[in-house]
Amino acid sequence: MGELLRVENLRTYFFTEAGVVKAVDDVSFVVNEGEPLGLVGESGSGKTVTVLSAMGIVTKPGRIVSGKIFFRGQELDHASENEMRKIRGKKIGYVSQDPNSSLDPLYTIGNQLQEVIRTHFEVSKDEGWDRGIKLLKLVGIPEAETRMKSFPHELSGGMRQRVAIARALAGEPELLVADEPTTNLDVTIQAQVLELLKTLEKDLQMSLILITHDMGLIAEMTDRVVVLYAGKVAEEASTHELFQTPRHPYSAALLNSVPRLDRKAALVPIGGGIPNLITPPNGCRFHPRCAFTKQVCMDQIPPLEDIGGRRAVSCHRWKEIELRRNV
Amino acid sequence: MGSLLNYVIRRALFAIPVFLAVSILTFLITNAAGDPVNIVRLGIRSITAAQLEQLRLFFHTNEPVYIRYFYWLSDFLRGNLGQSLYTGSVASRIIPWIGTTLELQIPALLLALGIGIPIGVYSAKHQYSKGDYTITTAAIFGISMPTFWIGIMLIIVFSYYLPWLPAYGAYSAYPPYWWGSPFLDAIAHLILPLSVLTLVSVATITRLTRVNMLEVLRQDYILAGRASGLSEWKVTYKHALKNAITPVLTIVGLSFGTLLAGAPALETTFSWPGLGFAFVRAASTLDLPTVQAIIMIITLMVLAANILTDLAYAFLDPRVRIT
Repeated sequence: MGELLRVENLRTYFFTEAGVVKAVDDVSFVVNEGEPLGLVGESGSGKTVTVLSAMGIVTKPGRIVSGKIFFRGQELDHASENEMRKIRGKKIGYVSQDPNSSLDPLYTIGNQLQEVIRTHFEVSKDEGWDRGIKLLKLVGIPEAETRMKSFPHELSGGMRQRVAIARALAGEPELLVADEPTTNLDVTIQAQVLELLKTLEKDLQMSLILITHDMGLIAEMTDRVVVLYAGKVAEEASTHELFQTPRHPYSAALLNSVPRLDRKAALVPIGGGIPNLITPPNGCRFHPRCAFTKQVCMDQIPPLEDIGGRRAVSCHRWKEIELRRNV
Repeated sequence: MGSLLNYVIRRALFAIPVFLAVSILTFLITNAAGDPVNIVRLGIRSITAAQLEQLRLFFHTNEPVYIRYFYWLSDFLRGNLGQSLYTGSVASRIIPWIGTTLELQIPALLLALGIGIPIGVYSAKHQYSKGDYTITTAAIFGISMPTFWIGIMLIIVFSYYLPWLPAYGAYSAYPPYWWGSPFLDAIAHLILPLSVLTLVSVATITRLTRVNMLEVLRQDYILAGRASGLSEWKVTYKHALKNAITPVLTIVGLSFGTLLAGAPALETTFSWPGLGFAFVRAASTLDLPTVQAIIMIITLMVLAANILTDLAYAFLDPRVRIT
């Protein structure tokens, strides 16, 4: 089980007119082979920006301020466009959120697949087209030959998401990032797409990063979880342990806001919203919304503490407080 | 392609009421402006009652206005654009006017597209940079300055203080020619009005391109394109620009009809013998048949340009279906 992607002390800031938005502020995590990782948090917690930073495609006014990115132990110069382009699509594939807008409406499916294939492999146009057909078959699109000539608007949302996945696979990446892959799909289609992702992971021996705010997906799809809050890592653990014994109040709160079928428990929403990241709260960024806040939480930024057993938590009071899933 | 023909026919049918409405308005307004018989009469020293009656018969002013309208419309539809009050057949003169206007407008449009689109793309790619601020400021200047003012300034500088270029006209009627030959002479005459027109259109096209590029660059497929390893060049020009350019071309296409009308103010500034200048002269001398003919020709051009633009749009964007 080798290490695939390592992100160390990543800081990505957006330099806007209103001020500097610290969207990702000192985030570290590791993705291992064969160990699907979930990045979880509310909207605006920095999940997507973290991954885009790792791929070197943060757009202005955003910029990676500091941090290191390693792929298979080799450090990447995130300032070098040439070096980062070798990663994109080829090592890390990315499936974006909204299948309705992730394909260029003016080109056929075939043209877009062929283009990516020919970016990564020196093959003829015909060969690129044939590989495109194979990719469509791989992601379970019927009548792949005819579909190649379709435009995105002629496909359903689920089909488009499959095409988007096919394109992300075109460079035969070792790591696939699925950014909220099911958020914009119908429930029945969601299940199919998840099934597809699982199959691909197994068949292509590809690792997965799943970005989501849906704890149900995390439970189903991942082995490890990184919980992000307001641009910082709140907690990192194996999925199993996180669901059993969340250590960070935010992780517990996330779990308690998910409906459960096995127990009749009231849903507890998390009060308030993600803080303003231009002037984040002093101390722990979660303290204004936390039920366990004490003076120390307001004064000092909690370090991400290694608590053994490949777990880490960023909370001053994790030892004292007893977090429980509401029963 | 049966549906395409169908579409064109249907659009043309929709254009008919517009054409008729414009023709009625034009005819009524020009008739309210004056009685052609009285205008022609001013040029004749002494006129007999019989001659006056003949003029009335010729212009049908002895009949009610709606009858005259039908005479005029049926003449127009058969290609008879009427007689100028001063210089004979309008039809034979309107073609050279259109030609002279196009000689100015088409190069201006091509130059404006060629210059404005890349500048707009640059500006959008470097949003909020110094270059972007410079470009947007210059574009506001270009859009807000009246063409005749820029024209006069250029004439003062390049024809008066620096006698480098001709100040008026489309060509020299007599030798000596500018730069030695009639062809180069025409080019010399073109430079100043062309510069003014290009400047203004570049400003408009730059702004349109910039705004549309900014919108498109935010789209998911741009991010997905970058994430799948495409070069920045491909992302920008193959994907972003093609998506951003469609609305720009639509506006250019729609303005193509009015472009044929020439720029009356600009053509007058440079005494450029095109349709716009002709219109200004005809209106100021109450040459009513010429005014009517020019307005109707422009109307036809605008309607045709609208249909062509819709077709072009459908050609560029597969989501637009022609049915």
